[in-house]
Amino acid sequence: MADELILLSIGLPWLGALLVWLLGDRKAKFQHGIAVLFAVASAVTACLLLPNVGTSTVVSFPMETTFGEFNFVADGLGVFLAVIATVVGSLAVIFSVDYMKGAAQLGRYYAMVLFFIGAMVGLVLTSNILLMFVFWEITALCSYALISFYNDDPKAVSGGMKALIITQFGGLGLMLGALVLFAYTGSFDINVFLANPSVLPSNILGVMAFGFLIAAAAKSAQFPFQTWLPDAMEAPSPISALIHAATMVNAGVYLLARFFPAFEGVPGWRISVMVVGMLSALMAAVMALVATDLKRVLAYSTVSQLGYMVYAVGAGGVFASQFHLMSHSIFKALLFLAAGAVIHSVGTRDMRQMGGLGKKLPFVRIVFVIGALALAGIPIFNGFWSKELILEVGMHGNPIWLYVIMLIVAGLTALYTFRCVWLVFYGEERSELHVHPVGIFSKIALAPLAIGAVTTWLLAGPFSNLLAESLPTHSIHELSLMEMIREVIGTPATYIALAVVTLGLMTWVVREQISGVVKNLRFLETAAVQSFGFEAINRGIVAGVQKIAEGLRGSQTGLLNWNVFGIVAGLILVLAALLIGA
Amino acid sequence: MNLSIPVIVMAAVIGLVGIGFYCLLVTRNMIRVVVALQIIVKGAMLALLLAGRMRGQLALGQSMALTVIVADTIVAVLGLALAVQVKRRLGSLDLNDLSSLKR
Repeated sequence: MADELILLSIGLPWLGALLVWLLGDRKAKFQHGIAVLFAVASAVTACLLLPNVGTSTVVSFPMETTFGEFNFVADGLGVFLAVIATVVGSLAVIFSVDYMKGAAQLGRYYAMVLFFIGAMVGLVLTSNILLMFVFWEITALCSYALISFYNDDPKAVSGGMKALIITQFGGLGLMLGALVLFAYTGSFDINVFLANPSVLPSNILGVMAFGFLIAAAAKSAQFPFQTWLPDAMEAPSPISALIHAATMVNAGVYLLARFFPAFEGVPGWRISVMVVGMLSALMAAVMALVATDLKRVLAYSTVSQLGYMVYAVGAGGVFASQFHLMSHSIFKALLFLAAGAVIHSVGTRDMRQMGGLGKKLPFVRIVFVIGALALAGIPIFNGFWSKELILEVGMHGNPIWLYVIMLIVAGLTALYTFRCVWLVFYGEERSELHVHPVGIFSKIALAPLAIGAVTTWLLAGPFSNLLAESLPTHSIHELSLMEMIREVIGTPATYIALAVVTLGLMTWVVREQISGVVKNLRFLETAAVQSFGFEAINRGIVAGVQKIAEGLRGSQTGLLNWNVFGIVAGLILVLAALLIGA
Repeated sequence: MNLSIPVIVMAAVIGLVGIGFYCLLVTRNMIRVVVALQIIVKGAMLALLLAGRMRGQLALGQSMALTVIVADTIVAVLGLALAVQVKRRLGSLDLNDLSSLKR
């Protein structure tokens, strides 16, 4: 039974993708229907996998060749991420029914979305690292296609290309790891490797560990690869929700969490992971503070929250990081879809033109504020519990300066979140915007996410049980709900964090009074608007590559004789190499 | 030196491929290019047969050679047909006249 469920949760979205595409764009109504049907069906199958979690649940395709066996294992980590991908993904698809109404080329849109969801499920469920690489690259391809969905907009196209190129670096790191693993063990199986990481010599293990760190950083938009995620904002809003909450960026954190037991002993690896997470969290929070584009603020906040997750893995809190991943998926999908509803209603993304929208969009305001409270880490909302768990992990046995910086970032998070909420929904109307009402399908997608943002922390007990039982190598200690509540409420760290969050809030409230201090920080604002020079580095690299390519043009003469000369010279070189070798 | 059959065939292979490549290097006439390609492919075919014989898998070598014959016929037919069209359009068979890359 479980075997079929594994295959169905990957196969159903892919089948749906094929059907939607074959249906053609003239039957838009059916396309919406089929996409929703298959997305929801895959979410149901993924949820049905939950009771079947266990390392013994394996689907295996023996390949009889060097590729080893294509295995799919339903362990806690994989099934949990598959559920996130399909459930949040299906809500994004439901939201799309309203958002993409009347849009051209719906077939391409839905086919890519469903293909994306299926690939993400495959990525987290497979235990063959080569297959994992294949799924990894499929998600990169889908994200590229969806970010540049409006392919007559040059900004969207360049954003998509940027995402594709930067995440390719990650793909290289992963492929390197896969090949090294195969070269030394003759097998691509992850679980065999995790059970006994010492099959690799320690220096090779180190190369692999840092290769995977690069892979994860590129995929999850962490320092120094964080620039692609904000540019991916040119995509339609449901796609942003999908990439930020359900699929793409979770893959990097998943990779780190999955291989944590193998790499934790590598000297310098854990501190590097923590520093990468810390830098991403800090820089993105500062950039979110000065951004004026609503979706960009949310994009930077994603980078920042992913920084928390990466930091947590480095600090040894695999459960805390995955718990925050769950909370983040819920509230970030909520925020993005709500932002999508706002943008769809008013027709602009610039927060400076919004303001006072709360009266006109009361439902969106409620759900957006719920998401924002969760993001800021206000008690009772799910973001509070998971962030406190991360900070607590960071406090014990890890460098205290990193902990302090993460604490400050928590305050910054509260500050930029409330700035964003205030600019959009409160205050005075800054311009005459014609507001369309929000459709019924948007509300259907938003309501469960809003409920989830308040309640998912109640699942901490079963969730930790799930991870602890099916991941023997991760040594996750089980944490019941009461224990978690006692742990969070009973430690002074929580109150320090809350104080910092309140401080962040107060900073926004008293912004008029402290404007003198803010003026002195102008240089920081200028730097943050220019994304601390990383955009300049990107542009430099692009210009350099173009210059080299321009220089190499001379070698392409188009003359047959020259080309034959090249071929013959190459042949002679190969023959000479063979002769010397023999 | 012992002139066994493999050595003679190998010499023929090297000779044919060498002549073909030399021809490709120096000519710009399209018809000659097609002829040169034919000579190279014949050499390669001989090499396949030789390899099959030396590994004791003569049938495999022969079937590969037959496949090459088919492919090589298509190359010749297409190449010559192109040459006819190029001559009609441009009035010349010189390959450099065909090139439109910036130099």
